[in-house]
Amino acid sequence: MDTLVQVLLDGMLNGMLYALVALGLCLIWGVMDVINFAHGEYVMVAMYVSYWLGFLAKVDPLISIFAGGAFIFILGALTYKLIIHYTVGKPPLSALLATFGLAMLLKNLCLNRFTPNFRILSDTWLGDRTFQLGFLIVPVPQLVTAVLALLVIGLIFYMIRSTRFGWAVQATAMDKEAAELMGINTERIYILVFGIGGATVGIAGGIMPTYLAVHPEVGTMFGLIAFICVAMGGFGSIPGTLMAAILVGVVEALSGYYIAPVFKYVAVFGLYLAVVFLRPKGIFGW
Amino acid sequence: MVHCKALFKLLLVAVVSAGLVLGVSPGTTLAQEKVIKIGTIFPLTGPVALAGQRCKAAVETAAEIINNKYPNIKVPLANQEGILGGYKIVLVHTDSQGKPDVGKAEAERLINQEGVWGLIGSYNSSVSMPASMVAERAKKIFMCGASSSAALTQRDLKFFFRTASTDEVESHEFVEVLKWLNKTQKKANLKTLGIIYENSVFGKHAAEEAKKAAAKGGFNVVADVPFNPGATNLDSEVQTLKSKNPDALFGAVLGADYSLMVKTMKKMNWTPKASLNYCSGYQDPVIAKQLGDDANYFMGSTGYSPQFADIMPAVAEVEKIFKTKTGGVPYDSDSIQETIALFVLAQAIEKAKSLDPEVVAKTLYANTWPSPLSLAGKVAFAPGGQNKLALSIITQLQGGEYKRVFPKEKANTKVIFPMKPWDKR
Repeated sequence: MDTLVQVLLDGMLNGMLYALVALGLCLIWGVMDVINFAHGEYVMVAMYVSYWLGFLAKVDPLISIFAGGAFIFILGALTYKLIIHYTVGKPPLSALLATFGLAMLLKNLCLNRFTPNFRILSDTWLGDRTFQLGFLIVPVPQLVTAVLALLVIGLIFYMIRSTRFGWAVQATAMDKEAAELMGINTERIYILVFGIGGATVGIAGGIMPTYLAVHPEVGTMFGLIAFICVAMGGFGSIPGTLMAAILVGVVEALSGYYIAPVFKYVAVFGLYLAVVFLRPKGIFGW
Repeated sequence: MVHCKALFKLLLVAVVSAGLVLGVSPGTTLAQEKVIKIGTIFPLTGPVALAGQRCKAAVETAAEIINNKYPNIKVPLANQEGILGGYKIVLVHTDSQGKPDVGKAEAERLINQEGVWGLIGSYNSSVSMPASMVAERAKKIFMCGASSSAALTQRDLKFFFRTASTDEVESHEFVEVLKWLNKTQKKANLKTLGIIYENSVFGKHAAEEAKKAAAKGGFNVVADVPFNPGATNLDSEVQTLKSKNPDALFGAVLGADYSLMVKTMKKMNWTPKASLNYCSGYQDPVIAKQLGDDANYFMGSTGYSPQFADIMPAVAEVEKIFKTKTGGVPYDSDSIQETIALFVLAQAIEKAKSLDPEVVAKTLYANTWPSPLSLAGKVAFAPGGQNKLALSIITQLQGGEYKRVFPKEKANTKVIFPMKPWDKR
C-alpha cells in the first residue's frame, strides 16, 4: 500500500509538469487550430536559458522561470509573425510542416552552438531536496513545479474566462471573422496567444534544469506527451489538458511499476488511442 | 566586348563539358593524390550525440597522426607521413542519429556514392549491426571501436573487426568483482542482483550476458528493469529496483539517462551495496564531473581514463591533439577505441602493402598489432573479429576521480564498500 501511494504521488507530480508544458500547446491549438511541432523545442530552449543564467550569472532556476517565460514569449510571438502568419488561410499541413522546420532549426542551432553535452545545474536552491511525510518521500523540486503549474494554469484559466482579453481570445477561437466585425484585432490576439503559449512552456523549461540534464534532445519526449495531453483533454480545453496530463502521469507511473517500466509509454499511448477512438474530440472537447 | 563575353561563356561551357565527359571531379582529383577514403558512422545528433562527437574527434585524431609526422608521439606510424608510401587517410563523416535504419542507409551511401575504401563506427551496437552487414556484402572492412554487444562478433563476418571489450567479457568481470567483494569485505553477503538497461540492442544484450554470468556465478537476478532511452523520468524504474532491493546493480545506461538514473536514485534515497556499469554514462568524464559528489562510489569497467596516465604513458601526447577537437575534454573508454581502430587498420594496410580489402582482412587476422593506446598494449583478432586481447579495469569514482580498484594487481586504491547512502554523504 505504501508503495502504491508513493507511485501515485510520483505520477501526479510528473503529471503536473506535463500539464504546465502542455498548457501553451493547448492555448495555441485551441485558439488558432495550429499544431506547433516546435513545442518540445521551446521547452529545450527555455531550459538552456535557465541553465546559462544559472551557470554564468548564478541565477537560480526559480528566478530564471521569469527569464525563460519572457524569452519564449518573444520566441512564440516571433514564430507567429515570421512563420505562422504566412500559413493562415493555407491548408493546415503548411503550418504543421513550417513548425516542424522550426523544431529542426532550433534543435540543430542548439546542437551547433552548445554541443550535445549534457549540462546539469548543481547547487540550486531546491537541489535534490526531499522530505519525509510519514512513509512518503516527497521531492521538493517536483512539488514546487506542481504548485507552479497550478498557479500558472489557474492564472491562464482566469484570464481566458474572466477578462476582456480572454473573451476576445474566445471570440477569435470561435469565429475569427465575426470577432473582427466586432472590432477585435485578431492579428494581435494571435501574436499574444502564441506569445503567452510560449511563456507558459518557458516557465516550465525554466524550472526543469533543477532536476533534469539540459541537452538538445531533451524536449522531444515532452513535446510528444504535450500533444497527447492536449488531444486527450480536448482541443483548447484547459481543465481537460490538466486532467489528461495528471492521468498520463499516473498511468505512466502505475504501468511502469506494476506491469513493467518498459511498458509505461505503451500504456500512455494506448490510453490516448482508446480516448481518441471513443471520444475523438477529447474528454472535455466540444 | 560583346564578342569577348560570348567567347568566354563558350569556353566556360566547353571546359565544364569536357570535365563532365572525362569524369573529372573532386573525387578523381583526390584519387590522383593517393588517398584512402574512410567513412565514419557515428551518432552526431540524437540522445548519445555527445559520445558520437567524441568518437568522430577520436578518428580525426588518428587520421591526423597517420597523415603527418609526429616524432614525439610514441605510437606506430606517427613517425612517418601517410602509409603505403604516401597515401593519406581522408575521412567522410556521417550521422546515424543513433538509429539503425539511418546508419544502414549511410553505410550504403558511403560505399555506393562516396566510394569509401572502408568504414569505422558506429558507437551504438544497434547501428553497427546493420551497417557492418552492408560493408560485409560490399566486401569493405568495417572497424568497430566502441560497440560492446558480443553478438557483433558472433556472426563470423570476414570484414568486421572490433577493438573494444564486449559486454560478455564485462559481465564475467563484474561477477568476479562481486565474488571478490564477498571474499574481501566484511559482511558483504552479496547474493542478489538487479539489472537496469536501455531497451536497445546494446542494453538487451548486456542484460542477457549479465544474467548468464550471474547464473554461472551463483547470483540471483531479482530485478530485470529495461527502460526506453530518452524517457522524461525513471521513477518507475528506480522504484522497481528499490522495492526488490538487490544487493548489487548492473547498469547499461547511456548518456543523459545515466545522470537521470543517479538523480532518481538519490530522490528515492536508495543505493545498492555495489553498482557496476557497462560502457555507459558512468565512463563519461563530463557527466561524472557534472554529477559532482552524486557520481561517487559507482563502479564500472574502464578501458581508459586520464587517471590511467601512469600505466598508459603513450596516450598523453595523442590526447593533446584529441583535446583540440573536443574543447579540452579528454578521451574516455569508448572514444579512445575509435583512435585505436584506425591505427590498427592503418598498420594492417601498411603491412599488407595492398589496398585489397581481402588481403588487408587476412593481414589483420594474421598479426598481433602493437597498440600503446590499449590497456593491454596489443591488439589481436579472434575469428569473428573480436580483439582477443581487449582488457578493462574496474574503477570506482572516488572524489570525482576514476580510481582503479580491480583486479588487485592493477589497483591504485581500495574500494569503498558498500556504497555510501545518500543521506550520509
